[in-house]
Amino acid sequence: MRALGTVALAAISIVGGLALWEVAARGASAVLIAPPSVVFARLATDVAAGPVLPALAGSLAQLAVGFVLAVATAIPLGLAIGRSPKVAAMVEPVLNAIYAVPPVAMVPFLLVWFGLFFPARAALVFVMSFFEILVTVAAGARNVEPSLLAVGRSFGANRRELVARVVLPASLPFLFAALRVGLVRGINGMITAELFFAAVNLGGLMKQGAQRFDTAGLLSIIVLLCLLGLVAQEGLKAMEKRALPWHFHA
Amino acid sequence: MALPRLNAVAGYRLAGIAVALAIWEALGRFMGDALFAPLSAVAVEYVGMLRDGQMLRELAASLRQMLVGYGLALLIGIPVGVAMGRSRIVDALFHPWLSMLVVTSVAALVPLFVLVFGTGFWFRAAIVFVASVWYVMLTVYHGARGIEARFIDVGRSFGTRSLQAFRKILLPALYPFLLTAARIGLVHAIRAMVVAEMFVILGYGGLIYRAGFSISTAPLLGLLLSLMLVGVAANALLQHAARLAAPWYEERVAPASAPRL
Repeated sequence: MRALGTVALAAISIVGGLALWEVAARGASAVLIAPPSVVFARLATDVAAGPVLPALAGSLAQLAVGFVLAVATAIPLGLAIGRSPKVAAMVEPVLNAIYAVPPVAMVPFLLVWFGLFFPARAALVFVMSFFEILVTVAAGARNVEPSLLAVGRSFGANRRELVARVVLPASLPFLFAALRVGLVRGINGMITAELFFAAVNLGGLMKQGAQRFDTAGLLSIIVLLCLLGLVAQEGLKAMEKRALPWHFHA
Repeated sequence: MALPRLNAVAGYRLAGIAVALAIWEALGRFMGDALFAPLSAVAVEYVGMLRDGQMLRELAASLRQMLVGYGLALLIGIPVGVAMGRSRIVDALFHPWLSMLVVTSVAALVPLFVLVFGTGFWFRAAIVFVASVWYVMLTVYHGARGIEARFIDVGRSFGTRSLQAFRKILLPALYPFLLTAARIGLVHAIRAMVVAEMFVILGYGGLIYRAGFSISTAPLLGLLLSLMLVGVAANALLQHAARLAAPWYEERVAPASAPRL
């Protein structure tokens, strides 16, 4: 009954919010903000017969390259940092300092190192998700229950077994959190790169929309990116639920 | 795996920083000023930039604008987050929008906001606001939801009224989360400030963008260094405040970098 009420309220909230947007947009001048009815119709036609799907495919290609590289490097590094207090003490101040620099400020460097096109865009995705994954995985590996490690040790596990059989499974919830945060940041990096390097793919469509004062076009891409973020987030959550059912029962 | 003693930790930290600076210098000499200026070159450049004064002037102006957006994000994000955490109905009404908006890339909003707000003060404040408010809300929400019911029950058995219960029980239990929210929000606010300013090539972000076209990367690294110092100092300040406000809570406060989405 409670769950049903929550779903009903959520539906009311979404419908109500969209209605509010519609009324507000129709009240304002059409140039300022397009109403949702126009935006969704636009998104549908642009997806069906327009430039959106090829652009999305191009965007996703650089997202995939940057994100996979970030995952492959940040997870082992994060585990190493989290499991060794000495390494953690050494790298933490440096990592915190680097983390304080907005990744978008790396754009001028990436431009010099990688040029204006695909490698630079993948590199920005990498930079933006790498640190997020690293810091989260390190925190997870540090927070492993000492009693779990003690049990492993009493059963005669060596260091390698301890990492593979205790530390890794115990930090899986953090690992999934890291993937979620990292992927959402990666999507942010993907669109940031397309707006700040040569404007292509979805970013190119946005720049065109901005030049034509076409808020419906701009908003349709924003809605698409929001849906992409939701799919990434909820998809990883669903995978987490299947992989770690114990975590969700707790 | 025993934790090293405190002065040993400080030693490792200093060693880590020294190693990082040495790597920077070596890598910089190897790559050259045009690709990645070494520490020594940046240090010289940085002194010049401090004397010149433009960097600090622009930084102060940009941070002032950022603080307006960030302040608004705290002002709205905190009460809504508390309400969502304490009321199932408010939670159900706001959560769908919160989940959608928190995953929306800030950079994607920039072109639209330029059309709506222009490139002036309100554009930058608005971008900073939408970049940080959802993170503030979400962090406070998790904090408010996690407050143990028995605290409130105890208060009720002692006859507290709801306003009193809020001030004496809920608020103190929330302190550490408010400060964590402030830290997470600030990270996103500073990032958004730079994104917005680099896009319209104004303010401090504009300086960074233009520095990208200079022959040497030393000025660019100098600009990033100032930004890094601001971020680290603000973070240390908020962390210190959290420790003062609720020292018993420290281990339960989520790391600033890992918000639960």
